[in-house]
Amino acid sequence: MSGERSTARTTLARAGEGLPTGRSVGLAIGALFWAWLVVRWVTIWAGYSEPFFPVAFFEGLATGFENDALVMQQNTGALAPVLDFVAGFWFLFSDVASFVAFAVEYLPTLAEGAWLTVVLTVAGIAFGLVIAVPLSVARVYGGVVTRSLALVYIELIRGTPLLAQLFVIYYGLNMSQYFRGVSSGLLPTTAVWVAIVGFTINSAAYQAEYIRSALESVESGQLTAARAIGLSRIDGIRHVVLPQGLRYAIPGWTNELVYLIKYSSLAAFITVVELFESGRDIAGQTFQYLNIYALLALFYLALVLSATLFMGWVEDRVAIPGLGVRDGRE
Amino acid sequence: MVLSLASPPALDAVDWVALAQFESGDWAFVREQLPYLARGFVVTLLLTLTSIVLGFLAGFPMGAIEVYGRGPLRSFVYGAGVVLRAIPIVVILVFMFFVAPIPLPGGQFAFDVPRVGSVSFGRSAFLAATVGLGLRSAAYQAQIFRGALQSVSGGQMEAARSVGMSRLQGIRHVVLPQALRRSIPGFQNEFTIVLKDTSIAFAIGLTELFARADNLFTQRTTATLELFLFISLVYFIMTFVTNRSLDYLGDYYAIPGGDR
Amino acid sequence: MSDQHSGTADGTDTSAATASGTEASDTDTASADAATAGAASQPLLRVEDLQKSYGDETVLRGISFDLDKRDVEVIIGPSGSGKSTMLRCVNRLTEFQGGAIYLDGESVMAMNDNDLRRRVGMVFQDINLFAHLTALQNVTLGLRKVRGMGKEAAREKAMDQLDRVGLASQADSYPAELSGGQKQRVGIARALAMDPELLLFDEPTSALDPELVGEVLEVMRDLAEGGMTMLVVTHEMGFARRAASSLMFLDEGRIVERGPPEQLFDDPEHDRTAEFLQRLTTISEEV
Ligand SMILES: Nc1ncnc2c1ncn2[C@@H]1O[C@H](COP(=O)(O)OP(=O)(O)O)[C@@H](O)[C@H]1O
Ligand SMILES: [Mg+2]
Repeated sequence: MSGERSTARTTLARAGEGLPTGRSVGLAIGALFWAWLVVRWVTIWAGYSEPFFPVAFFEGLATGFENDALVMQQNTGALAPVLDFVAGFWFLFSDVASFVAFAVEYLPTLAEGAWLTVVLTVAGIAFGLVIAVPLSVARVYGGVVTRSLALVYIELIRGTPLLAQLFVIYYGLNMSQYFRGVSSGLLPTTAVWVAIVGFTINSAAYQAEYIRSALESVESGQLTAARAIGLSRIDGIRHVVLPQGLRYAIPGWTNELVYLIKYSSLAAFITVVELFESGRDIAGQTFQYLNIYALLALFYLALVLSATLFMGWVEDRVAIPGLGVRDGRE
Repeated sequence: MVLSLASPPALDAVDWVALAQFESGDWAFVREQLPYLARGFVVTLLLTLTSIVLGFLAGFPMGAIEVYGRGPLRSFVYGAGVVLRAIPIVVILVFMFFVAPIPLPGGQFAFDVPRVGSVSFGRSAFLAATVGLGLRSAAYQAQIFRGALQSVSGGQMEAARSVGMSRLQGIRHVVLPQALRRSIPGFQNEFTIVLKDTSIAFAIGLTELFARADNLFTQRTTATLELFLFISLVYFIMTFVTNRSLDYLGDYYAIPGGDR
Repeated sequence: MSDQHSGTADGTDTSAATASGTEASDTDTASADAATAGAASQPLLRVEDLQKSYGDETVLRGISFDLDKRDVEVIIGPSGSGKSTMLRCVNRLTEFQGGAIYLDGESVMAMNDNDLRRRVGMVFQDINLFAHLTALQNVTLGLRKVRGMGKEAAREKAMDQLDRVGLASQADSYPAELSGGQKQRVGIARALAMDPELLLFDEPTSALDPELVGEVLEVMRDLAEGGMTMLVVTHEMGFARRAASSLMFLDEGRIVERGPPEQLFDDPEHDRTAEFLQRLTTISEEV
């Protein structure tokens, strides 16, 4: 693949292929993860938030291993060096078991946080796209005024930190007040709505850039040919340039999706309890920082790798012979 | 203000009361706090530089290893890259600060900057932020260099070998000079990403620009919008200047007729 | 083939629209009135003192000629002489600064450009098939979005056109899966499907490998024999000799010479024409 934009995608995509049988193993793990996550969400909505697996069992395992190891270490006979060696492994098993016990206990909370992470990501990219398409078309095909307006928007948003943007709309403009009406009951809290607005505004600018460069890589002869059979400019862009350009933009989208999954964590600072914030809450209660951050890392890794695999699948699905595999496109 | 200086006759046309109303309070508060914010700005600049440098020092060899390396080293670099690129930077920073087994020094860094005054900030937070932002950046810079190295055609290496250079010489004298030029656009992108993401170091209490705005905002909640708009502008100017400078660098080192 | 010019409902519609258009445009120049007056022999295309420049660079310096229905005009000339520009003025893919162009008596400047392009088809040197659409979809797109035809009707009509260029069997192939010659034949089918009154060809074979040129020229010859009015920029002299009703030599934005092909080949008035034709034939013999 070409261009820096697509690098994240290709490397991550290759993560699945790196190991010889890695791809199928990866897919199986991914499928299990999502199956569990979806079932977990459904049970939580249905009012059941207890762990699916017995925490006490793994805790028991952990203490069992640890006690055994301590006993082994106390042996002073001829076998002492061997037992000491084995004890080392038993301590390791004990650690693993207590990590699993910890994970089992707090997975429901993290799953709840992951729900909001997914919601913010999907909403951000979808609403962002709705704005990004006209923005990028204005940027490429617009007149002086629309082109400059689009350029200013895109550059201002891309030139400032997302965190500052979230603070401006949440604390500065107090945007939550507009969402009071749509945040009761099962609906998300007002902060979630504001975060969605923030990610939409932000993502629109980045997506517009990806789509712009994709549109520019569609040969100009395509629009000329569309005009030559009598299509208007707008129709030519809509039926000929966009269908090709949007395919070229898929690697950019993969990046954008990965970006949103990760940066949705910043919603934590405007009080949204998404994945990172729910992890922070757990850390605050348990002080088990290492465990919780390991879990968070695994969660994000799973989300990001699934997004990458999914986009690869989308790219294959909409692939057209001879399109999007051209070299030298940037 | 400037306008009224330029055209004194319009003085009485300006609604001074309304202007004063607007001017008073929150923007004035931002102006008062400029020195305080400026010290944060210095920290932001410093953190950006240290992170980028660490990212380059680690990322450049990582990229080379991904292209030319083999065996467990390559797998390790590759795996580390995947993980670092998949985890949110805020998680990485908090991890580096609270969990990672890095010996973080205590106390404060403090030094005088002419016209800005005494800048001081926590040693441990700054170090953790540098390591976090730097390693994450290394993972991305490695990708940029990897892509650039791979984009130099195999023919170039063959040509180098055909004039009698060793593999290492070929890399050093033929592939690298071209690859480095080609990484400029990606590097530009990465530089601004690091710059913007230094704001997230406020999560571990580093008193850089964003954290200082955040502190002021808790002091005076009515000035929130003004404060964050103002620092956004500062970040924008920084990214803008960075981009233009690197554009210039790219043009300066461009090979006539060649792509970058 | 000729059934598309007469008989169909579309054909009648178009001529009705053209007649009213002509009546309305009495602000046009005197010669246009004259042309309307002699309605029986009104040329399908009239180009009058056409002038065009890009910025400071003048590309067309006053070009005038008539083209009757069923005429096939072949245009030759050195690279940069303005051939493509002239074609693009006819369907207004580019705007011109001076002179006038009439299609069936109606000034193209007075027409909606989308309507104009529906009536004047174009085949490109670089083919420009829509890369994301199959051969069939390339042809149906215009029928559906410009002519507003239904899905089935468009499909049927498009299949007829593909059949006409011998590519019905490749209807579901994407451009990347077709050879250059096949692509260009789809390009012709795409233009034909709109039932154009006039077809413009801009060096339709010059991007093709030599062995693929023949199949495209054959389709074009069939069209010419079927009575299609064509304005063809090409340096395929075999085609010019056999299919052209008239040959035009363009140089530096002017018509140097124009006449029946045999006359230009055998007894050109200008040395420049002779020289250029001489070079063309030498090159094609080398190839
Ligand atoms: N879009 C354009 N902008 C500026 N100059 C152009 C453009 N298109 C063509 N020209 C110029 O007009 C002249 C005639 O071009 P063209 O009509 O393409 O020639 P031909 O088709 O006979 O080779 C050339 O000198 C070319 O450089
Ligand atoms: Mg031409």
